[in-house]
Amino acid sequence: MSSATENTILEFRDVCFSYDNSRVLIDQINLSVSNGEFIGLLGANGSGKSTILKLASGILKQARGIIYLWGKPVHSYRNRDRAKLLSYLPQVLDISIPFTVREVVSMGLYPYDIMPPLSTDEALEMVGLSVKADSVITNLSGGERRRVYIAMTLLQGAGLVLLDEPLANLDIRYQMELLRLLKELRAKRGITTIMALHDINIALQFDRLMVIKEGKIIGTGTSDEIVQQDLLKKAFDIDIEIKREETGGVYIKY
Amino acid sequence: MNWKIFLITVTAIIIITVALFAGPRLINPFVMNDTEKEILLSIRLPRVIVSILMGAALGASGAVLQGILRNPLADPYILGISSGASLTAAMGIISGITLFGIVTIPVFAFAGALCTGVFVGAMGWKRGGFWPDRLLLAGVGLGFLFSSILMLIMSISSTEGLRRAMLWIFGDLSLADWSVIPYGSLFIAAGLSISMLRAKSLNALILGDELSHSLGFSPRKERFILFLCVSLMTAASVSLGGMIGFIGLLIPHMARFVTGSDNRILIPVSAIGGGAILCIADLIGKSVLSPTELPAGIITAIIGAPYFLYLLRRKDVLSN
Amino acid sequence: MKAGVFILDFYGKKEQDSKGAGYINSMHGGRYPMKRSIIQVLVCFIFILLIADTASAKSPERIISLAPSITEILFAAGLGDKIVGVTTFCDHPEEAKQKPKIGGMSNPSLEEVVLLKPDIVIMTTDGNPKEFEQKLHSLGIRTYVFESLTIPELPQGLKKMGEALEEDERFNSLATKIDETLNAVRSQGSASGKKILFIVWPEPLIVAGRQTAVDDAIGLLGGINIGAIGQGRYPKYSIEEIFHRSPDIIFIGKGMVEEGDKNMRELSKGLLERIAHVSAVKKGKVFFVGDGLYRLGPRVVDGIQELAGYLK
Repeated sequence: MSSATENTILEFRDVCFSYDNSRVLIDQINLSVSNGEFIGLLGANGSGKSTILKLASGILKQARGIIYLWGKPVHSYRNRDRAKLLSYLPQVLDISIPFTVREVVSMGLYPYDIMPPLSTDEALEMVGLSVKADSVITNLSGGERRRVYIAMTLLQGAGLVLLDEPLANLDIRYQMELLRLLKELRAKRGITTIMALHDINIALQFDRLMVIKEGKIIGTGTSDEIVQQDLLKKAFDIDIEIKREETGGVYIKY
Repeated sequence: MNWKIFLITVTAIIIITVALFAGPRLINPFVMNDTEKEILLSIRLPRVIVSILMGAALGASGAVLQGILRNPLADPYILGISSGASLTAAMGIISGITLFGIVTIPVFAFAGALCTGVFVGAMGWKRGGFWPDRLLLAGVGLGFLFSSILMLIMSISSTEGLRRAMLWIFGDLSLADWSVIPYGSLFIAAGLSISMLRAKSLNALILGDELSHSLGFSPRKERFILFLCVSLMTAASVSLGGMIGFIGLLIPHMARFVTGSDNRILIPVSAIGGGAILCIADLIGKSVLSPTELPAGIITAIIGAPYFLYLLRRKDVLSN
Repeated sequence: MKAGVFILDFYGKKEQDSKGAGYINSMHGGRYPMKRSIIQVLVCFIFILLIADTASAKSPERIISLAPSITEILFAAGLGDKIVGVTTFCDHPEEAKQKPKIGGMSNPSLEEVVLLKPDIVIMTTDGNPKEFEQKLHSLGIRTYVFESLTIPELPQGLKKMGEALEEDERFNSLATKIDETLNAVRSQGSASGKKILFIVWPEPLIVAGRQTAVDDAIGLLGGINIGAIGQGRYPKYSIEEIFHRSPDIIFIGKGMVEEGDKNMRELSKGLLERIAHVSAVKKGKVFFVGDGLYRLGPRVVDGIQELAGYLK
């Protein structure tokens, strides 16, 4: 799994992490992500999905092991250079200063001095918020707010996008819309996405899934390989029943 | 957007000019006798300049502080800096020390403000960075402590400096003097220009530390530098003329209402607005009960508090 | 002779009495260390010439008073006509109310003072900010600071002020008159050993403490001011303390407000009911007195005599 190729853009080698010597949150993780992959991190709350994303983005620093981003340790990049390669969208997006939607989205351009391929208006168009460009973000609904930040992330235009439960307060239409958008970006520009999630139905949409439990990867593979009764029972500690129909549909009963 | 900034600047210049020539006794700029010239140059001009400096410092530090604490209710005084400054200034006034001549009290106030800033910073520091909530709570706690010590000193003090100290706490510009302007403007200009250069990172900081990191900034470093700027500007402002309430809280909100929240515009507009508003407040303070002068801080609070409540009712200004 | 204070000052032989005296300052005069050199002697002569030229040629004709007590002193000394500005608190004598106002004591308006073109501004250490004096100097305006804080210091302070204003005779006779009354009162000692409380305001209870004219007056009359506790000149007093110390006589100041008498009686009702069992109240030894002792001016004499009248 850790066989790094030229195509590898992110690699964890024996990474461990804990806050101030308390409980170990990430326990000797190895993983590698190739250019253009569309990866889902599946796991229960507190399993360590967010921590993995924060380690990858350099927000947290691992206690042991090493994390490579395009072949160089992630902490060896200058902040601004790293921001051109990687963007991270956290799960909690609280804000109390009344920026307008346009003001927030255009912050995606901060790492650049030159004009990027995408404009603020195009980014807003992509998330369907053109009409709300001059609204104040604090007056938007949770889902609209999430889309504003997604537009900002798109505008930032990094090759690797890390999204922490981005579908959390989107309705089903925008969930599908966002997934479609990310896949389209991969097709057009080769953008790689890693997304933390806990919805098994959504997990079916990914090429590759990693199942995280108590800071360890307990399974990795295609959605067919991962969405299995035993593995998910273990991951979420619940009774779960999964039936596959011959038409390709999957029936999940919790 | 640009015409708005132009309009604000022009309005501010008009206000400042009015503050120079209006008042309980009008001065006609075209027909001045010697006494009026002297009043204009030695009394009104330094007073107006001090008002502009203090107002600008408070307006800008309010905007910056609301950003680094990610809290629209933050005010430069919430960090306890003003209480620290008042405490040392009152000690200076009451003890009657005149070590540095006419700038003794400003020097005392500045020292108190800076020490408090450092102390609040130390309390808000954890795991190699400032934590907004810790800074806020440390400032509030320290502010209460200093205010009570101040009350203690004032209630057991017998000297005549007491009334003077009271005036100073309410923000009194009547003794504004050329001698305090050079160092005051130095610190305020430094704080203001550094904050303006870092306006982008302040914008990012408002989105949260993680997003600020993702956008290519180091949130800890930025918050530290911006906190220094706020401390410096607030300390200089308090030392120039005491505590002026509500400008730091209110002006950034008014400015956001007019020009939006982007700090690249918000910081300079808050500075200009703060300076102009304090000029008006002082003009009102010396005119309404003339010849008795009311401290400008009382005027800003009397005008500011109702306006602030009115703003709170408006949907676009604050989130729920 | 007119420049006497300056010359003495210059050689560092300033008058011995530090209290009760004032000092004179202007943009020209500061204090100089006691060093002798030819240059200094020369400078001294130049100074004498300068001062003889400016100050002595023109005794102050336009005076601004920055305190009610000073206004009263100036009127009592017969200089009322020379006063061109007073504070908003200067309400005594009646003529003072007609004078142009320059603001309060702690916050006088610099502009108003400058516009009145005073020859001298008379300030007090009791209520005027030091910085204001410095500002006046920087604008080239002469000041005199009246430093007396207690009744015994008053006569000497008046004489000094007379020197500064070059009106020695008027002020000396005023001082002598006060001195004589004080001596007369002192020799009577009518309150010998009695415990006295002087209430300035009933709710909250504020009494006259140390270093006040009231305290001095009680002392001169031979009484004990039980309000003189702690640091404050006008401390906030606890009602329990009144019971503990059990005053023989309670004075209640009527204050300076119009119809102060009636007001104060109304305001004090609650307090007097609460301390009804204190011996002074039981025996009817509660007296409402005027405001003579609130200002360290010529009327302290009336104030002392009023107290003495109730003690007989």
